[in-house]
Amino acid sequence: MDFDIIFGNAARAAFGPEAVILALAAVGLNVHFGFTGLLNFGQVGFLLLGAYGTSVSVATFGWSLWVGVVVGLVLSVALAVALGFPTLRLHAVMFAIVTIAAAEIIRILIGSTDAIGLTGGPLSVSFDAGAFYDLNPYPDGPHDRYGIGTFEFTGQQLWVITVGWVLVALVCLAVFLIVRSPWGRVLKSIREDEDAARSLGKNVFSYKMQALVIGGVIGGMGGVIDAIKTSGADPNGFRPQVTFFAYTALLLGGSATYLGPVLGAILFWFLREWIESFLRQLTAEAWLPDAAADFLDGTEGVISVAMVGLALVLLMLFRPQGIVGNRTEMQLDAR
Amino acid sequence: MPDDLTPRPEPGPAAGEIEPILTVPPEVGAPKPNPILVVDNLTRSFGGLRAVDVDHLEMERGVVTALIGPNGAGKTTLFNLLTGFDRADTGRWSFDGQPVTSPSPDQLARKGMIRTFQLTKSLAKLTVLDNVLLGAPGQVGERLPVAPFRSRWRHQEQANTERAEELLERFNLAHMRDELAGTLSGGQRKLLEVARALMAEPVLIMLDEPMAGVNPALAQSLMRHITLLAYEGLSVVFIEHAMDVVTGISDWVVVLAQGRVIAEGPPWKVIHDDEVIDAYLGRRRAGAGS
Ligand SMILES: Nc1ncnc2c1ncn2[C@@H]1O[C@H](COP(=O)(O)OP(=O)(O)OP(=O)(O)O)[C@@H](O)[C@H]1O
Ligand SMILES: [Mg+2]
Repeated sequence: MDFDIIFGNAARAAFGPEAVILALAAVGLNVHFGFTGLLNFGQVGFLLLGAYGTSVSVATFGWSLWVGVVVGLVLSVALAVALGFPTLRLHAVMFAIVTIAAAEIIRILIGSTDAIGLTGGPLSVSFDAGAFYDLNPYPDGPHDRYGIGTFEFTGQQLWVITVGWVLVALVCLAVFLIVRSPWGRVLKSIREDEDAARSLGKNVFSYKMQALVIGGVIGGMGGVIDAIKTSGADPNGFRPQVTFFAYTALLLGGSATYLGPVLGAILFWFLREWIESFLRQLTAEAWLPDAAADFLDGTEGVISVAMVGLALVLLMLFRPQGIVGNRTEMQLDAR
Repeated sequence: MPDDLTPRPEPGPAAGEIEPILTVPPEVGAPKPNPILVVDNLTRSFGGLRAVDVDHLEMERGVVTALIGPNGAGKTTLFNLLTGFDRADTGRWSFDGQPVTSPSPDQLARKGMIRTFQLTKSLAKLTVLDNVLLGAPGQVGERLPVAPFRSRWRHQEQANTERAEELLERFNLAHMRDELAGTLSGGQRKLLEVARALMAEPVLIMLDEPMAGVNPALAQSLMRHITLLAYEGLSVVFIEHAMDVVTGISDWVVVLAQGRVIAEGPPWKVIHDDEVIDAYLGRRRAGAGS
């Protein structure tokens, strides 16, 4: 068993593009759920539209990648508005149900055979993301590698994650700037008690809509990165669990904190990959009984997700506020 | 925004001048010289129960009006209707001279009708100071395009913070300034809610049992403060159970029982009204056989 390899793999996942995408999804969710109290269970829908908006624009319509990016983000805004108008005045639970259903409906429509001409349907869609990689400043020969051991990226990968993490940093800064303002105070008051906010003259619907759009667009950015990273999009990549992974990252790191969702996303991928690599090596060990090895073989991925779930349960027991959350705030819920 | 242009109410009468409200006859539905609120045919039923059924009611501007009545009389429901938190079955009302056509709580609040709740709504995970600051009207930093630029809202925030601190001082909450509101006691939350409502610079403040659970000395000082504000032109309506509290601080009393206004008048007259006493003792209105 080589723990250097396991650690290298885990670190690679923790800083790789998947973690960037999850971080953006979780930061957006933090604006919805953490700061405004909106129970959005369809965050994956925003990622999907970001990814497909980009991919379809380039692959089907032949537009430039940058137009595609804008289309992806505009579609995220459109989804937020379309979801928010009928549901934001309803009870929080209604909103939750509608969001999860809407995201699934969009995924099923996009992945249906009827949509093959437009989105590639179940076959997924792919396009040339050359416009993005043309800007890559890192030498990217067949032998260029960056990092040590298994913690290693190609020049193209390094370019994606550089852009990705810079984007995450900028988004976090923007969220910080707007949430620490009186505007952010209104969001939090809505989370605590909408009627109190109303009684002080705040237009609750308008603020919820603004939060929904902002968090949705941030999720959409995650989708755009996903499309660029894979040079395409596949309906299977946007199942409901993506939303729940984003919630896991958010709660791991600390809801309603500025850096929590990012730390949570990094930790989520680190743990998940660490456990999976560990199990994979374990399967290969000769001393393991055959039955155990057979069981593990091929199920490492599933088990590692289950383990991350277990980690979340333990965290909720011993540190319910998340890594960077505020304990006293958390305990107020129990009063 | 029109609410910025709303003229502040006239200050109260000069010393020696008789309060105009005292010229009003103590009769149900009596017109007032300068009403802030005029209500007509307001009804609200829950199933078969008529919770509110008010034919005509006027509340005078710049005075303290107490709304009293036994449990379940419909006092809170009346507040909810007037402030847009509940929909009336029938009826109209006007606030500050303008008919209220589509009552929405936040619009009415921006026009200066600010209410508090019987079950306090403190914002648990906001600090005490932030709770009060939230009440400040017309904050530029509450607009998204301005929010990221601190320099554009810092001065207003500073001025608001000073005012908020004065209010906290007055309500004995200054030492709790930076604590989360969720850590306050029940009585402190009541006080916080009143402070927050005053922060909103109301034209009419409607307090639902503001003194419930507050210690008597502090309750006294709270009401003294409110009387003072009424003297400066604020219109106050507050709900209260205890008749003795009401006599000391209100200029006018409206009595509600089973959804109807059964009496109104100056406190010393109303508390001796037989019908009021019957209502409080739980006797039926028509069948007062004693
Ligand atoms: N949402 C509701 N659904 C059904 N019935 C209601 C509702 N709200 C109030 N009621 C009923 O309307 C009547 C008036 O209630 P309300 O809360 O206005 O009384 P109140 O005068 O404020 O009483 P208290 O002094 O106990 O606070 C009560 O009989 C109550 O049961
Ligand atoms: Mg009540």
